[in-house]
Amino acid sequence: MPSIDYSSAADVTKRLEERLVESLTGETSVSRRTVLGGLGVAGSAAVGLGSSRAAASSDHDDEGEHGNFGAVGEYRDLDFDPHEFLTAFNTGESGQDNVPQQVYEEDGQTVREFEFTAVDTTITIAPGVEFSAWAYNGQVPGPTIRAVEGDLIRVKFTNLGRHAHTIHPHLKNLNPRMDGIPQNGPGVLDTGESFTYEWIAQPAGTHFYHCHSLPLKEHIHRGLYGTIIVDPDPERVRENPREYVNYPGPITDDFREQLVEEAKSRNHEYAENDAVNEMVMVMNSFDTNFDGGNEVYAANTRAFGYGVGDTDGEGNWTAGETKRPIQIDKDQRQRVYLSNATEFDLINSFHTHSQFFDYYDHGTTLTPTNKTVDTIMQCQAQRGIIEIDYSDHEPGLYMFHAHQSEFAELGWMSFFEVV
Amino acid sequence: MADKTQDTTTDGGVTADEEITQPLGLPRWVSALLPIVLLVLVLGVFAFTSPLAGVQSGTPLPDVTITHTTLPSDETVVLHVTNNGPESVTISQVLVDEAYWDFRVEGAGGDQTLAPMESAQIVIPYHWNPGWDLGVTLVLSDGATFHNTIVAPSQSPGFSLGLLGTLAVIGLFVGVIPVALGMLWFPYIKTMSDRWLHAVLLFAAGVLGFLAFDAGFEAFELAERIPGAYEGNLLVVFGIFGALLLVQAISAWREGRVAAGDSRASSGLWIAYLVAIGIGLHNLAEGLAIGSSFALGRVSLGAFLVIGFMLHNVTEGPAVVAPVARGERPSLKHFAALGVIAGAPVILGGWIGSLAYSPTIGAFFLAIGVGAILQVDWEIARMVRDAGGRVASATNLLAFLFGLAIMYVTDLFVVL
Repeated sequence: MPSIDYSSAADVTKRLEERLVESLTGETSVSRRTVLGGLGVAGSAAVGLGSSRAAASSDHDDEGEHGNFGAVGEYRDLDFDPHEFLTAFNTGESGQDNVPQQVYEEDGQTVREFEFTAVDTTITIAPGVEFSAWAYNGQVPGPTIRAVEGDLIRVKFTNLGRHAHTIHPHLKNLNPRMDGIPQNGPGVLDTGESFTYEWIAQPAGTHFYHCHSLPLKEHIHRGLYGTIIVDPDPERVRENPREYVNYPGPITDDFREQLVEEAKSRNHEYAENDAVNEMVMVMNSFDTNFDGGNEVYAANTRAFGYGVGDTDGEGNWTAGETKRPIQIDKDQRQRVYLSNATEFDLINSFHTHSQFFDYYDHGTTLTPTNKTVDTIMQCQAQRGIIEIDYSDHEPGLYMFHAHQSEFAELGWMSFFEVV
Repeated sequence: MADKTQDTTTDGGVTADEEITQPLGLPRWVSALLPIVLLVLVLGVFAFTSPLAGVQSGTPLPDVTITHTTLPSDETVVLHVTNNGPESVTISQVLVDEAYWDFRVEGAGGDQTLAPMESAQIVIPYHWNPGWDLGVTLVLSDGATFHNTIVAPSQSPGFSLGLLGTLAVIGLFVGVIPVALGMLWFPYIKTMSDRWLHAVLLFAAGVLGFLAFDAGFEAFELAERIPGAYEGNLLVVFGIFGALLLVQAISAWREGRVAAGDSRASSGLWIAYLVAIGIGLHNLAEGLAIGSSFALGRVSLGAFLVIGFMLHNVTEGPAVVAPVARGERPSLKHFAALGVIAGAPVILGGWIGSLAYSPTIGAFFLAIGVGAILQVDWEIARMVRDAGGRVASATNLLAFLFGLAIMYVTDLFVVL
C-alpha cells in the first residue's frame, strides 16, 4: 500500500469544500424577475426613500414575542385520556372498563384473563389532527397488561379489523404456537376470527406486545402495540437472587433482603408497591401523510399531551384541559415503565431536566443497569424502568422529553409538575 | 313577429317556410328552449337520484395551495393559502421547520376551516432569520400535509405611499425613459429607404417575438403556483388566445373601415398604437413582477442592472415608431401618447403587483401580453406586405433574427 498522498487528499478536500459552498449559496442563476425587484431597492435608495429594514424595525418593538412552539388548541376527542392511561394497569382484578378481564386459579396457578379485540378506529394525535388507526380495544397504545411472574396470561383475542392481525408478546415463551406470528400456531387471524393466546408471565420486567402481521411497519405504526408488565415474585427473588442482578460477586443476606424489598416495591400485590407512583409511557409516532417520516411524536399518543396548556415563555403558564403536566408528589418515588414503539425514525430517548435517574434496561434486573443518568436511549421495542426521586426539588415544572430535538418539537415533550 | 320581414334583407337569403322546418308545428321559441329544458331535467335526475352512487368510491384528496408567503416583520410569517379541493379542509396544526408552532387563521370566517375555493392567511409568530430558508408545513385534520419552503426569507415592505413612489421611479427608469430614448431614432428611421425601413420593422417584430417567448415561459412558470382549481396553464392559454383574437377582431374592424374609405384607419399610426399597446401590456406584466417581488420580499440588489435593463428596453422605442416612418409625421402628442402607452404600464403593474399580488393575476397579465404581442407581429408582417415589400427577404429575415439576438444579449445583462 502506498502511503497517503497528502496533496491529492488536500485537492479532494478543496473540491468538496467548493461543492459545499456552491450548494449553500443556492441557485446561481437569479431569475430576471428577482433582479427586477433589485432595481426597486436601487431605485428607492436613489431617491432617498426609506429602506424596507428601517420600516420594519419600528414594529419589532411592539411585538416583543417570538411566538411559542407547540400544538395549537386543546383536544376535543375525549375518548382517550393519556393521563388516565398513564396509571391504568389491567391485572385481571382491576383495570379499564374496555378490557374485560378476570383472575382465577387453575391447577394451582393464577390465571389472568383478558379479552382483546382489534378494531379499525380513528384516534386524535394532535389537537384537530386525526389518524386512522388499528387498535387493540380501540386505544393506542393498547391496554397495559400486568401480571406477576409465573402467572398464566390468557388473552382471548378477536380480530374485528379489516386486516389480519396477531398479538406477539415479547416474553420468554416456551410454546411456539403462542408466538403470534404468521408462520406459527394459528398464524394471522382474519376478520372475525378468534384465538386464545396463553403466555407464562416471565421473566419479570417491562415488556412489549404488538401485532406481527405483515407488512410489519404498517401494523405497528398504525397502533397495534402495548406494554406487558411482569412483577417480580419476592419469594422467587429470595430463592434465586442471582437471576435478578447483573453482578457476579457474593450475595450477602443483606443484599438478598434488599433485592426482596425491591421486588416487593415492584409487585402490585404488595403494600410496598403502594408507596411508589407508577406510570406507563409508550413512546410512539405517527406518519400522517405516508411519506415514511413522522409528523407527530408523543409519549402515549398525544402530541404535547403532558405539556403545559399555555405559556408566555416567561414562566407564566396555565394547564390546559387536555394538555397538562403530570402532577407528582415530591415525597413519592416515581417509576416509569417506558417502552419504544416508534416506527420509521425508530431510535428514541428519554431525558429529564434538572434531574438524574436510575434505569433498569428491560426491567429484568432489580439493580439499575444505568445509575445516575439523565438520558437513556431505546431502540424500537426496547423498554425499561426509570426510577426518579424529586424529593429534594423545589415545587414546579420539570421538563422531560426525547432528546432528539426534532421529536421533541413534533410532540414528544412533557412536564412533571412537582407539588 | 318582425323576423318574417327582415329575413330577406339581412343575409340576402330566402325566408324558410316555418310550417315545414318546425316539427309538430311548434313555435320557434319552443324549439329553442326545448334542449335547455331537457338539460335541466337530466341534471335534476342526476342531482336527486345520484345514479352514479354505485360507481363512485373513495373520497377526493384534500388539496391546499400555499400561493405565496409574505414576511411583514421579522417576527411574523404569513402564508397565503387556497383550498383547491372539492371538500372543506381544516388546518389543524402548522409546523415551522418541523416543529409545531403557534398560528392563527385569518379570513376564513373565524375558524380554521376553508370551504372549497376559499382563501385565507395563516399568521405565524415566528422569529425568522433573514436569508435562512424556512420550511413551513400545514397539517390538516386528517393528517395530510402541505409544505412550502420560503427560500432566503427577507422582509416584505408593507403598503405605503413611499413604496408607490419608489415603484413609480423604478417604472420611469425601466419602462418610460428607455422607450422614449428609443423613439428618438424616429427622424433617422424616416430617412431610410423602404428596404431598410422594412428591415427595421422586422427587427421590431423580432424584438416583440422574443418578448412573447420571454413572457410566455414566465407565465407558464407562474401558472405552476396558481391553485390547481384555477387551472393555471389553461388560464394562460386562454389569456394568450383571448388577447390575440380580441386585438385581431379590432384590427379586422379597422380594415372594414379602411375599405369603407376611412383614411385615418389606414395610416401607420394605427399599427404604431397596436405595437405600443402590445409592448405596454408586456411592460405591465413586467411591472407586476417588480411589484410582486416587493410584496414577497424577494428583492435583490445591484444598480448596474438598471443599465442592463435600460439597454434592453431601449430597443422597444424604434419598434413603436417604425410604423409611422412613412407618410405624414404624426403630431408630437401622438408620440407622447405612444411613449406613455408603451412605457408607463410598468408603473401601473408595479402598483398592482405590490398591492394585490397573486400568481393568478400575474400569469394572466403575462398571457394577455403574449397574445397582444403575437398579433402585433402578424400586423407588422402585413404592413410590410401591403407596402409592397417581401417579408421573407434575406435582409428582413436577418433583421428579425437580429431583433431576437439583441434581446437575448441584453437579457443576459438582466439575468446575471
